[in-house]
Amino acid sequence: MSFISTLRSGKFIITAEISPPKGTDTSRLNRDADLLKGKVDAINVTDNQRAVMRMSPLAACGLIQGKGIETIMHITCRDRNRLALQSDLLGANAIGLRNVLVMSGDHPVKGDHEGAKPVYDVDSIQLLGILRKLNEGFDLADNELVGRTNLCVGAVTNTELNEAGLIKFKKKIQMGASFFQTQAVFDVKSFSGFMEKVNGIRSKNIKIIAGIIPLKSQRSAQFLNKVPGIKIPEDIVREMKDSKDPEAQGMEIAVQIIEEIRPLCDGIHIMPVGNHENTKTILEMADLL
Amino acid sequence: MIISRLKEFDEILQLLTEKNIFVIGCGKCAKKQHTGGEPEVIDLKDKLKAAGKNITGWTVLSSACSINSWDDVLAQNPAIKISGALLVMSCGGGVSVISRYAGMSVYPALDTESLGGVCCNEIVTQLCGMCGDCTIWQYGGICPITQCSKGLLNGPCGGAVEGKCEVDERLCAWDKIFERLKELGKLQNLEMIHGPKDHTKKFRGKKV
Repeated sequence: MSFISTLRSGKFIITAEISPPKGTDTSRLNRDADLLKGKVDAINVTDNQRAVMRMSPLAACGLIQGKGIETIMHITCRDRNRLALQSDLLGANAIGLRNVLVMSGDHPVKGDHEGAKPVYDVDSIQLLGILRKLNEGFDLADNELVGRTNLCVGAVTNTELNEAGLIKFKKKIQMGASFFQTQAVFDVKSFSGFMEKVNGIRSKNIKIIAGIIPLKSQRSAQFLNKVPGIKIPEDIVREMKDSKDPEAQGMEIAVQIIEEIRPLCDGIHIMPVGNHENTKTILEMADLL
Repeated sequence: MIISRLKEFDEILQLLTEKNIFVIGCGKCAKKQHTGGEPEVIDLKDKLKAAGKNITGWTVLSSACSINSWDDVLAQNPAIKISGALLVMSCGGGVSVISRYAGMSVYPALDTESLGGVCCNEIVTQLCGMCGDCTIWQYGGICPITQCSKGLLNGPCGGAVEGKCEVDERLCAWDKIFERLKELGKLQNLEMIHGPKDHTKKFRGKKV
């Protein structure tokens, strides 16, 4: 089933995230994709995430899609102006990609090419507008396309939104986002509050897919706590600290969060720190396979 | 006001391949910010002397970017004629004007940072992106092009942590815009969908 049909089917959605390699060796990318094949509805492929230069997600998605696995290509506004964004989107469509996830993108100073020019020629709202036009058969300058795109478009959100953030969330829906993938959820109570807020705004066919990061160690918890949009409650950090087998503990915590948020949202998005060795087990433990 | 900062002394020294140097300060923005007024010109000139340069003279123009004529400057500062190069303590605008008319090597002593302002001795930086298409009123008078590190026009990214921008210590511009619009009773402005900027306006003016 295509990802867009899955979105419409009402099934609980499962996606997982892969980062393209830093280099040309695709063996780990292939291994992760093989581990996920048949277990998830689509694989997200990141776009120079945290502003660290890696292989283009367009190429990596092409490789994964070649295995018969549907992908969601991330596309940030950081590195390309409106011409480059549109031409990549046409290319993505031409090689058979069907889903994209739009975001502003972490600022270059956060990454490994600090001195890079931050582009941000358009922002995520405007990029959603571009995608709407491309899907209608026109480019941003209103030129008619020879062959329109057919892309299912998603956006991202933090789960703790202030009023300005909530207004932007609403704008993303207005501009055609049909699903949202969230920053990692650790605090179920706060996530529940977020869902209450967005349920007042979205219609049921706008899907919310909650981010899940299985913790690996107390250190990974402390590191993630500094990432924008992530807040790990103290009791989880303590559980990780006290555990004799932190990796297993992290998986159990992830499963518990999945079980608690399952009735609240439309799906989960697994973003492990490192590889997907444990993703299948987590999905089995959560009764999702 | 144009915001500028003094280059590191070693960098300035490396720029100056000529021995005979005339130093020019600026009596407007650089003076106000203490980057190119009389005390700073004298200080730099003394350091250069100590480093072995021959300082032929110095002056502080009333405004480096706005001179009556180069002949006027020369008439008041004849030592320029016996100098190998000019070292200008002004923003890039002043350095450009002087470079254009002086017909000799001109070096900048300052780095130009942004267009800002000053009130009650508080210097405020990055107030205007000079985009050629001002829509600042829609944002409560806070320009998102310069105040938001990503120049986002439609609301905050998800990068702020406890109100601080992901880039540096600055507060998230969108929190400020939100608060200002709230004070003005114009929060509905945040609901506007802003299209991509037309960057031709920066260079060509408005389309007719």
